[in-house]
Amino acid sequence: MAGVGGAETTARKVRWGVLNAVVVIYALFPVLWIASLSFKSAATLTDGNFVPREWTLDNYANIFATTEFVRALLNSIGIALIATTIAVVFGTMAAYAIARLDFPGKKLLVGVSLLIAMFPQVSLVSPLFEIERSLGLFDTWPGLILPYITFALPLAIYTLSAFFREIPWELEKAAKMDGATPGQAFRRVIAPLAAPGVFTTAILVFIFCWNDFLFAISLTSTERSRTVPVALSFFTGSSQFEDPTGSIAAAAVVITIPIILFVLFFQRRIVAGLTSGAVKG
Amino acid sequence: MTLDTAPPPVKQVRRERPTPPRGPGGASRWARRAPLLPALIFLIVVTQLPFVATLVISFMRWNSLDPTNRGFAGVDNYLTVFTDAGLRSSVVTTVVLTAAVVLISLVLGLGLALLLDTKFRGRGVVRTMLIAPFLVVPVAAALLWKHALYNPSYGLFNGVLTWIWGLFGSQNPPQPEWISEMPLSAVVASLVWQWTPFMMLILLAGLQSRPMDAVEAAHIDGASPWQVFRYLTFPHLRQYLELGGLLGSIYIVQNFDAVFTITSGGLGTANLPYTIYQTFFQAHEYGQASAAGVVVVIGSMIIATFALRVVSSLFRDEVRS
Repeated sequence: MAGVGGAETTARKVRWGVLNAVVVIYALFPVLWIASLSFKSAATLTDGNFVPREWTLDNYANIFATTEFVRALLNSIGIALIATTIAVVFGTMAAYAIARLDFPGKKLLVGVSLLIAMFPQVSLVSPLFEIERSLGLFDTWPGLILPYITFALPLAIYTLSAFFREIPWELEKAAKMDGATPGQAFRRVIAPLAAPGVFTTAILVFIFCWNDFLFAISLTSTERSRTVPVALSFFTGSSQFEDPTGSIAAAAVVITIPIILFVLFFQRRIVAGLTSGAVKG
Repeated sequence: MTLDTAPPPVKQVRRERPTPPRGPGGASRWARRAPLLPALIFLIVVTQLPFVATLVISFMRWNSLDPTNRGFAGVDNYLTVFTDAGLRSSVVTTVVLTAAVVLISLVLGLGLALLLDTKFRGRGVVRTMLIAPFLVVPVAAALLWKHALYNPSYGLFNGVLTWIWGLFGSQNPPQPEWISEMPLSAVVASLVWQWTPFMMLILLAGLQSRPMDAVEAAHIDGASPWQVFRYLTFPHLRQYLELGGLLGSIYIVQNFDAVFTITSGGLGTANLPYTIYQTFFQAHEYGQASAAGVVVVIGSMIIATFALRVVSSLFRDEVRS
């Protein structure tokens, strides 16, 4: 663009300033506010100050002292990790077939799994509740892992097949020409190239399982398998006379930290994964 | 059992269109599909078997508190869904909620995407921070809005109002009870906050796939920025806007977390998923809940079909260019 140098830099500065303000007010203010609430003592919780007047870790100490929260955290981590692993393994196989192999009916299969991704979860909750109760899966880890895998699989398949499409598959052929077996070609040549995509997909799937609320609240009934989002919604403070807001703020910070860390460390890949999954289908 | 009956349509399609001449024998043709099968079988078993159960139950008279009175009810449950005042109003709420959230977050997302489309220092950081709301655990986000922002005594909104009024020396700032005074807007605002980043990402991808030579040519020919936006950028973005709108609709129609957390479905904010949840877990009306579930499925499938069409047309464009 043939802009005059001076004017363009001023315009840029203005734009930069506007963006900064927008980002801070829009995205960070609410998040920082809840972080600030989590560090306030019970006495100063309602003072409306943005920076806590008395810093305290009591809220964190309280939630980690209750088995309610600690158990839920373990459940969440375990369930999300197992569901992610299984979904990524099946998803990788499926995405490989979609990106790499040509067979009639492929489009139909892709369409079917896309439709399933959009299948409303709430209409499955009631039958799953009945089925899981009769199979003894209700209120167990597998009882949540199964529906999570199902809804994570389409997500995994799309994100992965978008990544796999970009891999230079000629390398595989070249490796075979040089005498590698198909297994070796896959392990030594394709797997290292596919790893970043698989990794990104795993993060997205993990976030998906970690965030779920509807299945978690419908298919569990005790601490045995309740996940963090559900435990959070049942929070009532450490005694019944105490306002739970401080604990809620602390718990919200704790469960959001892993997601924020993922995003900070892998932001470029996550953005690429979200957009390729969403736009390239 | 249903497993055996599910795959045949797929098989038939395969027979209709045989593999190209170079295709190998039957066994190896199956081997090609093998990697896809575990995922597909899994998907069908976990979603379609329960769905068949929903379909069956939706035609039954079944309240778990009244186990003796169970039997075939015909379309009674569906009639209830469409005539019961509570359920009907929840259909309206769902439509209003979805439309409001999708439209507002599309407009805001477009604004942010246009801002982010220029190269400047720290663009990556800004983009990362902007997608943060989309990645915050939804229940935590809803709780954040309910307790940290809307709370009349220590919420951020009323805190800011106090501060602004304080600047002008006033001691009596307005302190609205956000959730009870404007329940539906409260839910909409929190969802818009979460979904704008998603729209922004999709629209940003659209902006960046725009053919830049045409834009430059228009600039050289003296087109104003508005004209460039109106006649070049906007037509190109239309598909992406559609895609964002459709995907957003599919997920917001299903929203449960925000309604459950912020208002517990009270004050006229109960949408269909929340009502179904309540009909099932509190009223124990399994038949009615299932019928409402089937209605939601049909609605989503209609939106999803449109979404699929947009996705595949985008994909064709990409191949062609």
